[in-house]
Amino acid sequence: MNYQFNWSVLWSGQSGGWLLHGLLLTLAISVLAWVLAAVLGIVSGAMRTVPWKPLRVIATFYVEFFRNVPFLVWMFFWYFGVPPLLPRVVQDWLFNHSAEFWAGMFALGVYHGARMSEIIRAGILSIPRTQFEAAVAMGLTTFQVYRLIIVPIALRLIVPPATNDSLNLLKNSSVALTISVAELTFQARQVETYTAKAIEALTAGTVIYLVLCLGIAAIMTRVERRFAIPGLIARGG
Amino acid sequence: MKRILAVVVALAVALSLTPPVGAQQDTMAKIKESGVLTIGTRTGSPPFAYINKDNQWVGFSIDLVEQLVKPAVEKEVGRAVKVEKKESTPPTRIPLLSANSVDLIAGTMTDTPQRREVVDFSLTFFYTGAQFLVKKGSPIKGVNDIAGKRIASQQASTNAKIIRERYPQAQLREFPDQPAAFQALLQGQVDAFTNDGIQLAGLKAKAPNPAEWEIVGDFYSEEPYGMAMRKGDARLKAAVDGGLKNGFESGKYFEIYEKWFGPKGELPYPLTATVKAYLLKQIGK
Amino acid sequence: MLDFGVVVANFKFLIVQGLFGVGSFGGGTLRLAIPAIGLGFSIGVFVGLARLARARWISVPATLYVEFIRGVPLVMVIFWIWFIIPQLLKLPIPEYGVALTAFVIFEAAYFGEIVRAGIQSVPRGQVEAATAVGLTFAQTMRFVVLPQAIRNMVPALVTQMIVLFKDTSLASIIGYVDLTKAAQIVNNREIKPFELYLFIAVVYFIFTYSMSLFARRFERRLAS
Repeated sequence: MNYQFNWSVLWSGQSGGWLLHGLLLTLAISVLAWVLAAVLGIVSGAMRTVPWKPLRVIATFYVEFFRNVPFLVWMFFWYFGVPPLLPRVVQDWLFNHSAEFWAGMFALGVYHGARMSEIIRAGILSIPRTQFEAAVAMGLTTFQVYRLIIVPIALRLIVPPATNDSLNLLKNSSVALTISVAELTFQARQVETYTAKAIEALTAGTVIYLVLCLGIAAIMTRVERRFAIPGLIARGG
Repeated sequence: MKRILAVVVALAVALSLTPPVGAQQDTMAKIKESGVLTIGTRTGSPPFAYINKDNQWVGFSIDLVEQLVKPAVEKEVGRAVKVEKKESTPPTRIPLLSANSVDLIAGTMTDTPQRREVVDFSLTFFYTGAQFLVKKGSPIKGVNDIAGKRIASQQASTNAKIIRERYPQAQLREFPDQPAAFQALLQGQVDAFTNDGIQLAGLKAKAPNPAEWEIVGDFYSEEPYGMAMRKGDARLKAAVDGGLKNGFESGKYFEIYEKWFGPKGELPYPLTATVKAYLLKQIGK
Repeated sequence: MLDFGVVVANFKFLIVQGLFGVGSFGGGTLRLAIPAIGLGFSIGVFVGLARLARARWISVPATLYVEFIRGVPLVMVIFWIWFIIPQLLKLPIPEYGVALTAFVIFEAAYFGEIVRAGIQSVPRGQVEAATAVGLTFAQTMRFVVLPQAIRNMVPALVTQMIVLFKDTSLASIIGYVDLTKAAQIVNNREIKPFELYLFIAVVYFIFTYSMSLFARRFERRLAS
């Protein structure tokens, strides 16, 4: 069968709408998951550096277990394995409100929370101990030291590796197609299914991802330069 | 900014340099050379093609290929042929065919005029219709009761298309394959699963509690199953049709049917006189 | 309520077929991961060196390739290879070939970046001193830069190998029967997702955690 190129399928018919819908869903699931990952990452990353062992152990367990299992497995686990164990009321709500979106978001957020945790931990560890000691000498409690000094500095230090992982989060959102989240890659396949034009459909999806990723990377490089702390260079996480 | 532009331009250049895909080499010539017939078939559609409790890939459609189509192909190319199976699902089967990843789709594919524009079909080897699988006691009794309800279907199936186009008031949820859609039904994520009646029967029989589920509704569409090939693949079509025809005439087809759908088969589903006449009419009997 | 019997009943299929690839389905996580890591790293070394080449006709394509791969999801690359290769070769290709090609193309870019960063982390003074002593470019690379670069690269390299090992699970999307797909096959029949996916999560964990422990020990030995 000869392959006839037909680029117009991308904008005639429903393809354009599908791709746009997919892009919006990709962004939605990624942004929400990112927030979850940031919160989990900061809390558990900090927990791994405190002097109290039980907190360190809990955080380490979370990080090591979630980080070492493939993301696809987590996707199936959260979508197929978890809902049946939830109370009936929660299940009914989920199933009427796009359970697959929430399962995908959770899988993405919890997985990347574990990875962010490592990055934050590395950032915190690279802060000179003297900062911590000076703060304690001034009379701040451990919690205050972390909240007011350590974490804010660490966040500025880790912009490059954190950006890298955030882009990985965006790219990993594509795995949600396996649980039928109609995100961008799913829609590219949908276009291809209905128009039989695989190359055009995949190109459209690819170009959108490229623009997103390279665009965000460019913006973050500028952000990093603005927020860099002179004198403190973060090692790549 | 420059970087993004550079990468996108490079991609565009690379794509435009892709050599135009030339004329298709005759499939039979390729099979003669390699000795392999690659078929795309299902892994979760009992009893047509599925993976059984011993983790073997078996099924009615697979047997039809192994016992009817393979001998015909072997006769045509003059050598022994091995049948290789690859998984295909409704959204992937036509792309796999057109991309030369498989030579023949033998599973549960419905022969429709619209699909005939893109692929060629063999003789019909099974006949069923679309229905719904619901929990016993569900208010859904047929296609007229589905407005506002969550209906699961397989992405790119004829059922999904019909529901989407003719019954837009139903909340259609499309899944990549049958087991995923069925699990959604089991867990209560959807109110009904629409698929071809015989496949629903196969799923129900293998469900954890078959008595909890029932198949409802008259056929809201007719679903004749055929094996699909690339368009214009005349020699392969002749071989496949020849093999099926021999099966109808010699009775081998009905033996295979009995094995899977007979009283002692995986899924008892007697061949009605009407359907039998329809099948035989194809070969002029 | 939880029934791990399904794991026990299908243990042989999951581990022997899914993990090791011994059986009628081809497949196998290890059968894919090990060559992918080997090939991906080997090609990655060339990619990394190419990015640092002085000749622009080498460094520019290498850079474009790396930037492109890093800007798209692995799933997308897998779909591209799944469609393009059989079209080009006009032959059905087993999933193994498609998956291996996709992984090597994808991971070589990431390994390349690690190699590049490793080489660039060797202080410029080393190269200058080597040239001053009279070594050629090739000799400088071989005896001065690369040995130091490799020591710097090892942590990131091993991390990337672990990532690749986990990424092999995505091959299941195109039907390759790896550990994840094997679990899916059993689940489609038995409908016991929690037990099955938890089981394979533990199996993956055992492998990757061991790999990272081994890596830490290896790093310590190199540092001494």
